[in-house]
Amino acid sequence: MTILIDQNTRVLVQGITGSVGAFQAKIMLDYGTNLVAGVTPGKGGTNFEGIPIFNDVEKAAAETAPNAAICFVPAKFARDAALEVIQAAIPLLVLTTEGVPEKDMLEILAYARLKGTCIVGPDTPGIISPGICKLGVHPAMMYQRGTVGLVSKSGALSYEVGRVMTEAGIGQTTVVGIGGGPIWGSRQAEIIEMFFADKETQAVVMLGEVGGRMELEAAEFIKANPEKPVVAMIVGRSAPEGAQMGHAGAIIEGHEGTAQGKIEALKAAGVHVATKPKEIPELLRKIGINA
Amino acid sequence: MRLLEYQAKELFRQHGIPVPPSVLVHSEADLSGLPYPLVLKAQVLTGGRGKAGAIKVVDDFTAAASTYQNLLGMKVKNEGVHAVLAEQKQGVLQEYYLSLLIDKASAAPLFVASASGGMDIEEVSRGNPEKILKLTIDPLLGLQSFEIRKLAFFLGLPEKEFAPIMRALFEIYQAYDATLIEINPLARTESGLLALDAKLVLDDKARFRHEDLFTQLELGQNQNNDENLDPSQQLAKKWEITYVPLRGDLGLVSDGAGTGMLTLDLIEDSGGFAANFCELGGLANADRMQKSLELLALNARVKTVMVSLIGGLTRMDDMAEGIVAFVRKHPDRFKVAVRMCGTKAEEGRALLAEYGIESGEDLVMEVARAVQLAREAAE
Repeated sequence: MTILIDQNTRVLVQGITGSVGAFQAKIMLDYGTNLVAGVTPGKGGTNFEGIPIFNDVEKAAAETAPNAAICFVPAKFARDAALEVIQAAIPLLVLTTEGVPEKDMLEILAYARLKGTCIVGPDTPGIISPGICKLGVHPAMMYQRGTVGLVSKSGALSYEVGRVMTEAGIGQTTVVGIGGGPIWGSRQAEIIEMFFADKETQAVVMLGEVGGRMELEAAEFIKANPEKPVVAMIVGRSAPEGAQMGHAGAIIEGHEGTAQGKIEALKAAGVHVATKPKEIPELLRKIGINA
Repeated sequence: MRLLEYQAKELFRQHGIPVPPSVLVHSEADLSGLPYPLVLKAQVLTGGRGKAGAIKVVDDFTAAASTYQNLLGMKVKNEGVHAVLAEQKQGVLQEYYLSLLIDKASAAPLFVASASGGMDIEEVSRGNPEKILKLTIDPLLGLQSFEIRKLAFFLGLPEKEFAPIMRALFEIYQAYDATLIEINPLARTESGLLALDAKLVLDDKARFRHEDLFTQLELGQNQNNDENLDPSQQLAKKWEITYVPLRGDLGLVSDGAGTGMLTLDLIEDSGGFAANFCELGGLANADRMQKSLELLALNARVKTVMVSLIGGLTRMDDMAEGIVAFVRKHPDRFKVAVRMCGTKAEEGRALLAEYGIESGEDLVMEVARAVQLAREAAE
């Protein structure tokens, strides 16, 4: 099994005719993802690589029954696009958009909670279940099918670690990029909980960074539910206080959000902590993970 | 975007939050004919003005004139003072704390209130958490009357006087995409409640909705913003490249925030000292790569550069082209170590090799090589 997406995932793409949307939709399609509809207001009735395009999500949902959506719409229009998906009761939305205003995110997430849509993102590379389904922009060559769940704030870091694991012969059930924050639709602890519930996933790798207290939350969750082994790496150990390290959420404010504090909390929760990517497959092998 | 106190108070005024009468002082002449005693307050973005001596009470024009000159000559944590606000001094009966902020953990607007105002709210929170009330607002419903009553009762303030202030904070959050609005202290005086200080931060990501306001606010604080930036930072701001100056001598460019932070950690683990953190983002092209090296070249201390590329979304042939373009323009400026893998890495590395630029696929090994090169350059 995988989490969030599998062979039954039917995908609606918002912004399918935009430059990024079209480019990524084609790659997802070639990977084998089942794209059932595209939405671009004003282009309804046309198609993309044979996939019907609709003017609005409701009509697309009624005619093609998607159970997941991915949004490639620019930040200015992301709130509207996300609300439209939520209102159509599509249970999963990957919000790749970077730079969504915080107030918009609060409204999107509040409405999603109300209607039961799971949001992954914003500012995320999305989700990939290697060999089965790709809902996002993860470069597929970095991954292979296996037994380890991978969750990361940073896209590039998930590619980096995915690659090192794959080269060492350890594959992934699902890789989830949750985004650079500072507001997240899905948090690390929630994704870890899903991996713990997934029969095929034998261990979880969590990639975190400085800023905020989400990794501390994850540590608390793992401590209270020590169901599967977890390996973690926290980057930004040498980040100075007060500097924004590329991600909106990666900023140490006072004593809050240091890498050291997170590493200590994770260790106290029984998590194996790596300082460089190559240690991750080594630690996984020690736990008995071989594929 | 953080506002200066006088800018925040102007918005407060427009939304009916009572503030003391004040004038923004442009010259000594502005200080004559005002109702003394006055409080002269340096307008800087840095916090901790009181402790830094940047807020002074003056009893007459003579004292005001010399204090005004002193304030203009001072620096608050490296930030120069370019404007002074003269405010009528108030007789305070009690000080309260009131703020509205975007709470990241609960993803909701959050009011924080305390009857122990005037001091650092973090300290109150640590020492006497029972003296603080936090109230989460539903983003879809907005602020409700029962929520206002709850805070008014907690603070022991008359609802009639308190309600318009709390409503105004929520209005400012909604109207301008504020991520933090803080009144500390909110003072009870003989003539009613007054916001004696004002802190306001707007969401830069929402700039597209408030272009005029942002532009106007920036005009009022241009000098405050740019004077602390070094030449690399100023250019980075213009080119919209993430750049954080650090103290070392080894330049760093990466194609992702997470991998950039990882490379930085590995540099420090190997005994090196990074000169900066610089990140292009996942969709960078050759031009951005070249520009980032131009930024680093403005720092004379940097003789060696580590380029850390994972090649997920960026194309390595593009990145190599950017590096080569820089090296052709400035042949002897840097020694460069390049970690390159992923999309079109073979093509990229072949192009680098043509120009004698060494590269490798292993991050840890390339970091070690960069640190070694930097060490040799320092000797």
